[in-house]
Amino acid sequence: MDGIPARISIKELETSLASVRGLEIVLGKVVRDDWDEKMGPTPYPSVTTLRAWDHRLLQRYEPFYSPLCDMCCLCTYGKCDLTAGKKGACGIDIRTQQGKIVLLACLMGAAAHATHSRHVLDYLIKKRGSDFPISLGDEVILEAPIIRTVAGIRPKTLGDLEEVVDYVTSQIAQLLSATATGQESNYLDYESKALHAGMLDNVALEISDIAQISGLNFPKGDPNAALVDLGMGIVDKSKPIILCVGHNVAPGAETIDFLEKEGLYGRVEVAGICCTAHDLARYRSGAKIVGPLSKQLMFVKSGVADVMIVDQECVRADIVNEAEKVGTRVITTIDQICAGLPDMTSLPVESVVERLTSGKEHGVLVRDPAKVAQIAVKTALSIAPGRRKEAVSKDEQVLAAAAKCTLCHDCRRACPNDLEIDVAVNEVRGGSMQKLALLYDLCMNCARCVSACARQIPILDLLELASRERIKNERFKVRAGRGPILDTEIRNVGRPIVMGEIPGVVAFVGCSNYPNGGKELAEMADEFARRRFIVVASGCSAMDMARYSDENGQSLYEKYPGDFDAGCIANVGSCVANAHIIGAAIKIANIFAKRPLRANFEEIADYILNRVGAVAIAWGAQHQKAASIGTGVNRLGVPVILGPHGAKYRRAYLGRSDKDERWMARDVRTGRPLYVGPAPEHLVYVAETKEEAMTMAARLVMRPSDTSKGRLIKLSNYIDLHRKLFGKTPEDFHLFVRTETDLPLGMKDELLAIMKEKGWKPRDLPELGSTIVDRLVPKKV
Amino acid sequence: MTMAVPWQTGNIVGPKNALLLTPENCARLLKAAKRPLIVVGANATKASVGLPNLADYVIRVAKAIKAQVAVSPVLQPHFERPGSLHVFGLGFEDVTNRLKDKQWKGFDGKGAYDYVLMIGGVYYFESQMLSTLKHFAPHVRTVSLDRFYQPNATFSFSNMDVDKWKEGLNAMIGELGGRE
Repeated sequence: MDGIPARISIKELETSLASVRGLEIVLGKVVRDDWDEKMGPTPYPSVTTLRAWDHRLLQRYEPFYSPLCDMCCLCTYGKCDLTAGKKGACGIDIRTQQGKIVLLACLMGAAAHATHSRHVLDYLIKKRGSDFPISLGDEVILEAPIIRTVAGIRPKTLGDLEEVVDYVTSQIAQLLSATATGQESNYLDYESKALHAGMLDNVALEISDIAQISGLNFPKGDPNAALVDLGMGIVDKSKPIILCVGHNVAPGAETIDFLEKEGLYGRVEVAGICCTAHDLARYRSGAKIVGPLSKQLMFVKSGVADVMIVDQECVRADIVNEAEKVGTRVITTIDQICAGLPDMTSLPVESVVERLTSGKEHGVLVRDPAKVAQIAVKTALSIAPGRRKEAVSKDEQVLAAAAKCTLCHDCRRACPNDLEIDVAVNEVRGGSMQKLALLYDLCMNCARCVSACARQIPILDLLELASRERIKNERFKVRAGRGPILDTEIRNVGRPIVMGEIPGVVAFVGCSNYPNGGKELAEMADEFARRRFIVVASGCSAMDMARYSDENGQSLYEKYPGDFDAGCIANVGSCVANAHIIGAAIKIANIFAKRPLRANFEEIADYILNRVGAVAIAWGAQHQKAASIGTGVNRLGVPVILGPHGAKYRRAYLGRSDKDERWMARDVRTGRPLYVGPAPEHLVYVAETKEEAMTMAARLVMRPSDTSKGRLIKLSNYIDLHRKLFGKTPEDFHLFVRTETDLPLGMKDELLAIMKEKGWKPRDLPELGSTIVDRLVPKKV
Repeated sequence: MTMAVPWQTGNIVGPKNALLLTPENCARLLKAAKRPLIVVGANATKASVGLPNLADYVIRVAKAIKAQVAVSPVLQPHFERPGSLHVFGLGFEDVTNRLKDKQWKGFDGKGAYDYVLMIGGVYYFESQMLSTLKHFAPHVRTVSLDRFYQPNATFSFSNMDVDKWKEGLNAMIGELGGRE
């Protein structure tokens, strides 16, 4: 689809009908639609277009609410007590209020991604031009599956994406208005709106990532993308160091460009934390990834960075102050984070550099990526030598502070993970840092313990001291984000996934708020890759999976190939690259099953729900963006498993395997009603342990349309994992057995005996698959 | 009865907080239970909870009040011993989801539970599950048997150290007529 601004001007025209002078007609856009696929039923869906689909999902997967608070505090009527069936002054009850809060969380996430996509697009259109082609390489013809499915357009240039951003932002405003007092009043409709917000979020992800892959020439689906350095110990402290924090790669990429232009690249270190690090490594493999969000505070407090460039999202609210304390100069770069700093966008570069190097300013706001780059490099080069000399050890003061510990337990009670910080800090008084060092892997660097300590013990500094040697040597390899899944890969795996012969796709996504450190994530990914699932990863999870080495010293990315195939682990990249994981599910429906994508969300989602055995594990999900990404994924029929902190999102979508009526679908060929069993059993499930998450994932990849061979393979994995992790056969396995041919051969007799006791009966299989959308059944049946 | 500060100090939930129980009071309360269920969370065997043999205590309580027991599947091997109780393995959230349904007939199909005792869950996660039952399962009374105050329960012990907790659990079980 091309949009061409047009202007028709008529200076003078004489006809028999009229005489015209000075007529000017301006058309904002002429739509030239050369996509031969017929427009589907739901182009650019409004807030209610897909409501029926949402309600169908929510009927099967009921919202399960866990309020974090008994009250509503959103207007001046409140605080309103919503316990014991009481309503608030506006008439809202606790269930509806939870729906509202969930929608608000999804909107925060979707708005963050929408703004991100707007920033990326504006930057790239300015840099490359509106007509710059979207290209994800020769092996990705189907380059914008989410946008095609939702909007019904096939964008070809960066400029084509603008109308999609406009759509997303206008829908977000509509949804936000529904949360105002006196608007939406039903919890299921709040959930439908949350699903809409999630879908918009997913569209925004795709806009950002296909724009930056095209405009900045990131890897285009390369399974062998470079292995890049990751870890707290990878930065060369003998060089000036520029640290980029956040998610928007523009200022960091400009910094690398400027260094290259000046012949300085390699003489100045450019490192990143969080998703901007992923994207810097996609831009140049020499960029270094310090780590995920959970490493932000400790690294910044170390004072290693000379200059810190802050962009957007997942930036700690205190990070500018922490940087100031250690003499790191800060440049904020985006409207969303001004951090109280003076706006110096319009000042000459040299003037800003002078203010930063002289110490007149510790930080500035500069809303121009190219200018940021020059200021950052010049400032870092200028102050680095002096800062190295100034560095003094504060170790003795830190150690001395530990002596003040009274074992009051306030640190432990403030810790989200209930870590025994109290005991560990107290042990330092006796001269041992052993227990403290053990907390390094488990600590998420939130620093609530530091705030809680009445004796002002710098607990995080103590932790750094206890782990210093380890931090110094911490270096791993992560594969740079490969971006999209190739169409050829989809052709290869589409059939075995849909038939169930590849047991499933497991995506490790989301933030780093883990219950027991990041190692569990690596262990899970390793297990599924060994079992020949397709494993994919993104964002903080993709980084944390790299932070552990096996007995041969290899990270998971060195151990497994980076293809989208059975037994591989593919890192797609930053949070916005999640679009490619979602897109892969859509592409299976299109490339393998020939389902039309164009503006055809409901049919595609129904296909994925019934046939594509994919599941996401967001083990450390913390951010509202994770809520919106996950909720969008849910609308497409893909289940998400959250770690225990995920219960604080307040809502799961749970199925009830014991209620047969919820698992009715229709045979797509005959239209016959069919019991399809609890597959997938839940859409959002919060697991308490890693082991529960793993067995749940093996369960949630089951789909009604699995072939017998496919179901046998999936069942075999589920039972085997359950036996391995829990020491026994799962009590519910019979719910997933449709006929005896579904049973794993080696276990058949034993399982049949159990099934007999449970009164199991064989059931019909769908002939050509199942659907929960009535209109997709042929009319004559 | 008074209120206490939640173990995780930020976990302030609002106007409806768990009533504090002493182990002795708890025994009296549990004697009134007609159909109790004990839900055991995944942290039950972890050192931070404090009692390596917590499973023994749970089994003694269950036998004393004729409660059924649901455990996080990861704990089943700790509970399933010869001659001991049958325990049901189901995820904490899945159990909670069924408990909020008044029509659910329980693991044995004999009817809804009236008392749900929770122990050994990951603190913040257990708090959220208790919140679900507080708000959406008015037919159920919840009791936290942990040594950490859980404000979302109907009744909870106060925060206490391991020794006091152990002493209290023994006293409670003694009061219920349970054997060592």
